[in-house]
Order: sequence, then C-alpha cells, then structure tokens
Amino acid sequence: MHWSDVVVESLREHEVWHATYVPDAINWQVLSKLEADSAFTVIPASREEEAVGIAAGIYAAGGRAAMFMQSSGFGNTINALAQLLTGYRIPVPLFIGMRGGLSEFNEVQVPSARPIPAILDTLHIQHYAPEREDEVQKYVDGAIELAYASRMPVAILWYAQLVGAKRATS
Amino acid sequence: MLRREGIAALVRRVDNEPIIANLGPATFDLYASGDRDANLYTWGAMGLVSSIALGVAMAAPDRKVFVMDGDGSLLMNLGSLATIARQAPPNLVHIVWDNQMWYETGGQPTHTSTGTDLGGVALASGIRNVARASTVEAFEEALDQAIREPGPWFIHVDIEETGEPRQRPKVVVEENLVKFRRTFTG
Ligand SMILES: Cc1ncc(C[n+]2csc(CCOP(=O)(O)OP(=O)(O)O)c2C)c(N)n1
Ligand SMILES: [Mg+2]
Repeated sequence: MHWSDVVVESLREHEVWHATYVPDAINWQVLSKLEADSAFTVIPASREEEAVGIAAGIYAAGGRAAMFMQSSGFGNTINALAQLLTGYRIPVPLFIGMRGGLSEFNEVQVPSARPIPAILDTLHIQHYAPEREDEVQKYVDGAIELAYASRMPVAILWYAQLVGAKRATS
Repeated sequence: MLRREGIAALVRRVDNEPIIANLGPATFDLYASGDRDANLYTWGAMGLVSSIALGVAMAAPDRKVFVMDGDGSLLMNLGSLATIARQAPPNLVHIVWDNQMWYETGGQPTHTSTGTDLGGVALASGIRNVARASTVEAFEEALDQAIREPGPWFIHVDIEETGEPRQRPKVVVEENLVKFRRTFTG
C-alpha cells in the first residue's frame, strides 16, 4: 500500500472523519484521497493556525479531526498549539510535509523546517518520522492512538526519505 | 449597549446550544451571566474563536452554535470569514462585540475605530446574512432572525465599555473542555 493509503485507512480505523489543511504537495497525496471519499469531510483554511482552531472545535463538539500542513506553515500554528491544543488538552494528529531536507531547491525552506522537531520537543508534543513505506502503518496508527489516549497533539513528519523530494519547476 | 446586556439576551434564548466566548471580556461576562456546561471559555489563541466555532458547527450540524468574537481578535484572523463563507454552516451565528478597541490590553483603539467595517468584510468574504446592531432591541431582533433562519449569520454589534471591574472566572480550562464536549457526546 502507498503511504498515503495507509494514512487514509488509519484515519478511518480511528474514526477521524474530519481533516483541516492549508495545502502542500506532500500531504495532498492523502488529502485528495480523503476528498474523494464521502466518509470524510475535508476543510481548507486560509492559514495554518485557523486550521488548528477548526480541528480543535471539531474535537470540542465530540468529533475527531486531523490537521495537515507544510513545514513552512508550522510557525503559523505555534500559539494555537500552545494555548489551545496543549492548554485545553485537545488531541489533534498533525501531519507535516517536511521541506528543507534532501534535495531541497528552495533555500528559505531550510531554516523554517529544521527547528520544527526542537520546537515540538519544547512544546512537549511528541513527533515521529517514518522513513520507509513498511513502517508507516506502525507510526501513523501509533501516533493517532497516542494522541487520543494522551489528549495531546502528536505530529507525524513526512521527510523526503519517505515521500521523495519536490523538484524545482522552471 | 453593553456586552453583558447582549449576553443576557442571548443566554435567555439558549437551551443546550453552545456559546463560545473570545478571550478577555467576552469570556468574563459570559461566565458572570451564569456558568453552563455548553459555554466554552477561551483564554488565549487570540483570533481563533470563530475558527473553533466553525469546527463545532460542522461537527454538530443539528445545533445552533453561537460565538462571541471581539473586533481586535477578528482583525487578527479575517481569513476565518472567508473559510466560514466557503463551508457555509447554516447553524453558525457569529457575533462580534465591537468596542473599537483592544479593551483587555488597555483600550488601545483598533482599526474599526478608523473606519474598517467588519460587517462589510464579512459580506465581501461571501457571508450573505449580515446584521448590525447598536441597541439591545436591534440586537435581539437580529438574534431572533438568526435563530429562525439558516445562516451562517454575522451579527456586528457596537458596544460601549463602562470600565466596571470584572471577576476572573473560576474555570479550569481542561475541565471546561471535557464538560463542553459531553454536552455533545452525552
Ligand atoms: C496572539 C496574541 N496577541 C496579543 C495578545 C494580547 N491580547 C489579549 S486580549 C487582547 C485584545 C483583544 O481585543 P478584542 O478582540 O477587541 O477584545 P476586547 O478586549 O476589546 O474585548 C490582546 C491584544 C494575546 N493574548 N494573544
Ligand atoms: Mg475590542
């Protein structure tokens, strides 16, 4: 199974019926499948912190939502991760498409992506990065389970090692 | 009119419908009007109260969902109006208490004091049901219409501040969230 199909099935298994996002090319591989599946409701936001807020509201009303973003948008979420998800103990699985690693062509992606694991550590948000297709299920199932058991956000980071690098278009 | 007069009018009209309050005075005044499990008080994440309410409205389509925003906070997250317009949840009622200032931080004038019209921004964002009120009577009329008719609704309310002292609500946020969520899950 492609890693993106594994995510879709894991969300279904855990009854995470809503997804919020600001697009990135990596997560779009998952989101496009969720959009095509009538069991899921997929909600695009104008800015990443808004997507965190919507996901928090879905949980507050008894549902479950995952949130998808690119590493460049992570900085936009920090106050919402701290004051909303952590402060209120709201579990949201966070999927972050990581730029700035192997074969990156855009140098400004590097300084925004590199500090993300350290920032998540500082916020006490656990994070995992599957590198091989055959470990995606273990990580994604495990992270979603952990999020709801701990009532905390948990992040899955998609690096080029697993998802490949974006090519410069010219 | 005062925020607490508007809150009293709203609270008289709800049963188990959720009310989600912006950080600062909206949270304080809602709590002072009488605590209820279906109140979600925010203490931070400035700007996001309407986003939280959008999530609540989408996850609970059978209940009217009321959110009380502030002018300064909405100015921090204007994109939320476009996102609400795009999803168009018919059960969402977005109330903005516009005192033309960041009251909680000392009353500095916000951009609505120099002419920015939040109702106009809502309309231009694609929200078709926009009302404006400066008196309790006009607010009640808009609220009754918003309760009767499908939305999303945006009710822009001009309010005055009297500077009366407020008590900090005795709320533990995690507990508030758990109780609020139980009003949906049983
Ligand atoms: C992200 C962020 N920036 C700044 C603040 C400081 N702050 C707290 S309340 C507030 C004013 C909010 O203004 P408004 O939404 O108009 O509400 P009011 O206080 O007027 O009721 C500000 C700036 C904050 N809490 N969070
Ligand atoms: Mg204000």
